[in-house]
Amino acid sequence: MINIVLKFVSCCRLAGLRISTSEVLDCLDQLKLVDMLDEKQFAAVLRANFAKSRREQFHFDRLYDLFFHELRQESGISHGDPLSEQIQDTLVTLGAEQNGNKTQQAVLDFLNGDPLAFLEQMQQGFMPGKGQGGGMGSNLGPMIQRLELMLQINAVDDMLMQYISDQRDRMQWETRRDLQTLFDARLASARRLLTRQGQSFEDDRTTTPSYQQNLDRLGDIHFASLIRKEVAGMRDAIDQLVRKLKDTVSRRYAAKNRGALDVKKTLRRAAGYQGIPLVLFFRHRPLRKAKIVTLCDVSGSVWSAARFMLNMLYSLQDCFTQVRSFVFVAGLDEVTGIFKDCEINEAIDKALKEAQIEYNAATDYGLTFRQFKRDYMEILNKKTTLIIIGDGRSNYSNPEEHILNEMRERCRRVIWLNPETQYFWFTGDSEMRAYQVCCHEVRPCQNLNQLLEFIQSLVL
Amino acid sequence: MKFKSVEHVRTELKKADYICSKTIATVVFLAQATQKPVLVEGPAGVGKTELSKAVARSLERELIRLQCYEGLDETKALYEWEYAKQLLYTQMVKEKIDDVIKGADSLSDAVDRIASQEDAFFSERFIQPRPLLQAISATRPVVLLVDEVDKSDPEFEAFLLEVLSDFQISIPELGTRKAVNIPFVFLTSNDSRDMSDALKRRCIHLYIDYPERELELEIVKLKIPQIDGQLARCLVDTIRNIRDLNLKKKPCISETLDWAQSLLALQVEDLSPEIVAETLNVICKHRADANQVAEKMEKIIN
Repeated sequence: MINIVLKFVSCCRLAGLRISTSEVLDCLDQLKLVDMLDEKQFAAVLRANFAKSRREQFHFDRLYDLFFHELRQESGISHGDPLSEQIQDTLVTLGAEQNGNKTQQAVLDFLNGDPLAFLEQMQQGFMPGKGQGGGMGSNLGPMIQRLELMLQINAVDDMLMQYISDQRDRMQWETRRDLQTLFDARLASARRLLTRQGQSFEDDRTTTPSYQQNLDRLGDIHFASLIRKEVAGMRDAIDQLVRKLKDTVSRRYAAKNRGALDVKKTLRRAAGYQGIPLVLFFRHRPLRKAKIVTLCDVSGSVWSAARFMLNMLYSLQDCFTQVRSFVFVAGLDEVTGIFKDCEINEAIDKALKEAQIEYNAATDYGLTFRQFKRDYMEILNKKTTLIIIGDGRSNYSNPEEHILNEMRERCRRVIWLNPETQYFWFTGDSEMRAYQVCCHEVRPCQNLNQLLEFIQSLVL
Repeated sequence: MKFKSVEHVRTELKKADYICSKTIATVVFLAQATQKPVLVEGPAGVGKTELSKAVARSLERELIRLQCYEGLDETKALYEWEYAKQLLYTQMVKEKIDDVIKGADSLSDAVDRIASQEDAFFSERFIQPRPLLQAISATRPVVLLVDEVDKSDPEFEAFLLEVLSDFQISIPELGTRKAVNIPFVFLTSNDSRDMSDALKRRCIHLYIDYPERELELEIVKLKIPQIDGQLARCLVDTIRNIRDLNLKKKPCISETLDWAQSLLALQVEDLSPEIVAETLNVICKHRADANQVAEKMEKIIN
């Protein structure tokens, strides 16, 4: 018994299942406890120990079927079988004829009920980048391997036919017929294995792209070069991230009354009530919510980055005390109201259409800052984080960086997001050099990954 | 009570209103015999949680349930000190403390005397056991259900691994607690992420799939005995046909049962396409799914 199980295990391992020794030991122990003659129980024990995920189970079931059903006769049980001698004879003769071809030998072994070599060869045929031929990442090597196996199966098939008809004089026709059906069945199962494996391992999961897959695909594309379909995918990715961030933040608030006690603070408060600790304080303290003011350059290329950021900020509104946003080209307008009233994607379109700004004018950061100072300076205070998205290209007008400096004095943080490629930041009419010194932080913001990173650091 | 054989498991679970296949019975029996945890996987609603409840019922053990979620940490799973209670007690026994330190010669003497009473404050009394500690310190054997373990963070999984391999928990202030009785552990997973190999290695794996036709029929008849045999057969066939479609969320056993319930309530005697269309929202939980089923109605009801 042990031998059969071990043989099966080595088959499974060759076919790519990972089975540890301790699992084999467990399995053998457990087999003693069940009624082994009941196949359902026997199979259940093996499956419970060797195939520990859905994907592996498909694989396992196929191997189990192969090993214990299709090749059953030769598993060492049935030496009394009248055919077994004939099979041996046939295969030995054929084995002598072939000249050292490993693959063919594997097929012959398979016919003889020993699928190890065959499975190994087949497994190689499914691992990309293995086998001879083809360079990195080419699937030519594995293809060749599979093709070779296929050819050899056919070759062996022909040889068997030939052999059996040659034996017409020496064997009874019943024996010949039985041999023929047996070998046919086995070759068929070998072919089936070879052709079926590909898809069955990648089970029938539904293929909705996960959050991570979305990110992998879209994360590094420059905002400006997104096509329409990708924009939709982008929204999904953003939605997923937003949900995740919200969960994290709300958990932080939920967890504030748990964990280790802040003894110092509790006792200090208790002193007010004659030493009775009426209020408990915990070490976990959630961060204060920030107030956000955004200034978005909506001229041409920069807008694509800004819209995604606005999308996120407004989806995450719960995480901030307040979000106010302004758009500008030359001169600025507040769009907070639009975002409050409309659904987010609608709002973004609306903001572009309805904001009272001159879209065709040349971008003028100086003018924008002057207007901001005149109308909105009082909204900046020590709790405010000011986020500016723009390339800093002010068309050689006065950059007015001293106003930005004043704004910096009034807020907690000034962050500049620049959607332009970093290489061009300080060239031509870009005033980034002047603005840079007035900001606490300047970040590149060209693709989703960079944006996500920024939002995450902002919220958490 | 103990299960004596695989067949015994089946009959006992049936008594506890749970009909299972031989595979399930075998795994449950083995888990009991080898005292290993069972990792149950499968689509939502095939009765993973129900299995552990049924086992608890038939073994007459208490069921302790730990629901996992992202961010679950040790204080929720293991134990927590009750600070408020500790502080209140300190206040209440203040005079007693005065007695203890009365007559102490020096400050250090007083501190020593208080230190000798320290155990009073870090004792069982002030510890709030959470599911894992409850399961381990229970005097009678229990069934521990760690539900949706795939939702928890990998760190928690590693921590769980430690508990499951030794069945002991160390509390720094009190020392190590060893399980009096090894609990019967079920971990369920919805396949939202792969569990680590180390965890899998320690568990017996069980995949519960949608049941075979006969089994499902039996389940329907067991749970809803008043249903007509012909209707039940028709219902199960229809559900199985629906499962074959490419749906977002395939109907599972619990949905079959809900549906059977609602058909009974509507006093339906025979399934017709109209009836199916009217009661579709019991089976399909997505709009797109419902549309798809409605489109392929003839194929579903033959």
